[in-house]
Amino acid sequence: ATMAGSHLTREFFELIKTIGESKSKQEEDRIITDEVTRLREKTKSSKMDKRTTKEFLVRLIYAEMLGHDASFGYVKALEMVAAGNLVEKRVGYLCASLCFAPDQPLRMMLVSRLQKDMQSANILEICFALTAACKLITKDMIGAVLGDADKLLTHEKEIVRKKTVMLLHRFLQLDPASVADYDEKFRRALCDRNPAVMAASLHVYDELVRANPAANKDLVPSFVSILKQVSEGRLPRDFSYHRMPAPWIQMKLLRLLATLGHADQKASEQMYEVLLSCMTRADSGLNVGFAVLYETVRTITCIYPNTTLLDEAAACISRFISSDNHNLRYLGITSLAAIVKDHPQYATKHQMAVMRCLEDPDDTLKRKTLDLLFRMTNPANVEVIVDRLVANLRDAVDVFLRQDLVDRISEVAERFAPSTTWYVQVMTQVFELGGDLVKSSTASSVMRLIAEGGDDEDEEADNEMRTDVVETYLELIDRPGLPDMLLQTLFWVLGEYGYLAESMELPAMCDKICSLAGRAGLNKVTRGYAISAAAKLTAQVGAVVPSAQQLMDSFGASKDVDLAQRCAEFRVLASRLDMMRAVMPVDASCEDVEMEGDEGLAFLDSYVEEALAAGAQAYEKPADMAAAEAEAAAAAASHALRFSAYATPDAGTHMPEAGPSSGAGETAGPGGLQAPAGGGLSAAAGPWGQKGQWGRKPAPAPAPAAAAPAAGFPGTLPGQPGSA
Amino acid sequence: MIKGIFVINNHGKPRLIKDFQRMTQPEQQQTVREIFGLLSKRSDNVCNFLEGGSVTTFSKDTKLIYRHFATLYFVVAADGNESDLGLLDLVQVFVETLDKKFENVCELDLIFRSDMVHHILDEVVMGGMVLETSGKEIMDAVTAMERLELETRSAAIKA
Repeated sequence: ATMAGSHLTREFFELIKTIGESKSKQEEDRIITDEVTRLREKTKSSKMDKRTTKEFLVRLIYAEMLGHDASFGYVKALEMVAAGNLVEKRVGYLCASLCFAPDQPLRMMLVSRLQKDMQSANILEICFALTAACKLITKDMIGAVLGDADKLLTHEKEIVRKKTVMLLHRFLQLDPASVADYDEKFRRALCDRNPAVMAASLHVYDELVRANPAANKDLVPSFVSILKQVSEGRLPRDFSYHRMPAPWIQMKLLRLLATLGHADQKASEQMYEVLLSCMTRADSGLNVGFAVLYETVRTITCIYPNTTLLDEAAACISRFISSDNHNLRYLGITSLAAIVKDHPQYATKHQMAVMRCLEDPDDTLKRKTLDLLFRMTNPANVEVIVDRLVANLRDAVDVFLRQDLVDRISEVAERFAPSTTWYVQVMTQVFELGGDLVKSSTASSVMRLIAEGGDDEDEEADNEMRTDVVETYLELIDRPGLPDMLLQTLFWVLGEYGYLAESMELPAMCDKICSLAGRAGLNKVTRGYAISAAAKLTAQVGAVVPSAQQLMDSFGASKDVDLAQRCAEFRVLASRLDMMRAVMPVDASCEDVEMEGDEGLAFLDSYVEEALAAGAQAYEKPADMAAAEAEAAAAAASHALRFSAYATPDAGTHMPEAGPSSGAGETAGPGGLQAPAGGGLSAAAGPWGQKGQWGRKPAPAPAPAAAAPAAGFPGTLPGQPGSA
Repeated sequence: MIKGIFVINNHGKPRLIKDFQRMTQPEQQQTVREIFGLLSKRSDNVCNFLEGGSVTTFSKDTKLIYRHFATLYFVVAADGNESDLGLLDLVQVFVETLDKKFENVCELDLIFRSDMVHHILDEVVMGGMVLETSGKEIMDAVTAMERLELETRSAAIKA
């Protein structure tokens, strides 16, 4: 089949052969690079004849498809479009369609050609132009071809009308305003005597209806009527596919009805009968029959609910979900997800089948099922579902799937948790299995929940919960390879609530934490958490255990400022344990720090004044610094390229414009460099002062009015950006 | 809307790229690479659908409908407004047409007669929307083109 009718050169054939035999990407790249060089030579050489140009373009397309730029050859495509015979013209259009980037200016040059071809007497020529236009037209080109396209809407040949409607659809997508007054014409296309043209118009309506369902409700009877006729087999037999009458038209109409019937009882009621009939007739046992069936089910779930239809749809979904066919199971899950939101009762029946789909080796199916489970979760089934999800997380390998699972479990657990204890248990597992995939905000939520306790202010119940949590973490603490987020939460919990533990005393706990904190290779942030936990426990114990002392000593000199600070604070506080207890109160992580009556920290005023007097630099607020920066930037911007004449040097006293390049050492010129106002080089202000980190501030420009050009100097060029 | 149609061989080399999203050349290459990355992980006994949202050039709701024939993957990337099963059948129609035109189409046909393959595809999908689904209609258009080619060539020979 390969060389049949082949009119290609030996050269091209050899090219393909060598590429096919190439052993590496580099080798292939080299071969194509050579090819591109050859093509480039051809363009430079004496005129290629049309046949050679045709192959040239095919090879160009091939090279570009493999990622090599051959834009030097684009101009040949234009030549072919303009001067070639029909076959050559078509290849020219093809090349342009495939290769011209959205911003390629050569597109514009095709407009006149497109117009001419659309006016041609040759059907094929018109079709080529329509197809090319669809790909090449940009918003600004629409106006140029709309007139010609318009005429083709009533062309005698259906293939032309059909393609013209598609082109108009493209215009609609690019610029709805361009075809704003085409309602009448679209209607005519919908009622075209040829069903293929009608089918094309459905794309247009799909776009219009989705953009504005309310304005198109009057179309419902038409669509219902067409769907009825199509599904009853009243179209010519050519439109049947595997004995299913025009399935794609049916599907398109079903989508339209779904959009129009959504939340609209009146509109939906007009559809019920045809939907039922479609469902019955679509049941052919073939793939395409299932396609129509699925769309019917989908439409039923979208529109205003009707119990009979929903029951039928649910029965259909049942069959899909329990099918052996993977595609059908996938569609079953998708439909169930659609139905479960508004009609959860249909989902419970399938809970087991759904769980089974979760075990399916097919990743796509698994992901879709997760999505469904997520929508199905409610307070009654959350524990069962989360259990399954966590088990899946344990086994899942694919990164996107794992991320999905982690996100969903976190969300669903938080939303429907029956108790804080349960929530913490689940999240601990998620931390353990999900590691870095868990959002850091989740850990904060968990910690906050533990600290805040339950809503009902039951201190006893809260402490029970916290004890459970502490015990859970104590079990985990020796496990190797725990992810950072889990460790951080663990350290925090033990530091805050370790005293509730029943299985371990505080000093021993402190020891444990310190030994873990000292481990090599521990993440800095986690180590920080551990150090703080050790400090808190020390405060509660009332004495510094040797392991804590050792820990603080080892990291007191750490290069990491955060760790060094924590250790330094510990060391200072450890010398005054009563203060330490005040600084680290028990079970008060959610309480505000109170500074009654002294929010301005007035007690530190004398400290500040002493420091300023000793020469410390005053603190400049970031907002002020930003304002100063902006000022300097604006002044600098005003010294862009100057387009107006310089002022005549005269004996006046205004300063010359000092651009960024002016040196500080410039001596007085005829204009005279005056010392800045305020006098004295020691002044902080002024271009040569010490102010600001940019050294020199550019001098302000003299008022433009003063720059009156004397005779002989070129005047200001019109329309140029003047200086500020 | 169909965002693109891709034919990729078992080694990840593109054999046909039909993009309806106005991607640049580098973006098209990137897309092919990423699609192939997803497909090569699929075993043979799974459904023909894939979430395409992880491909950087596609929006989150994109799905990939694909069929694996011997050495070639035929992939259609579409948004949520298209029917998955319908597109699967569309691929079938396209491949059947190629088979009829090239008589037991193989990978080399796609390379050597890529222009003809594009012309056939242009009769099936236009502007990202399904244009024609009838195998007969498509074949008629193809035959018309072939006749045109023969006429042109014989005219050239005579001249």
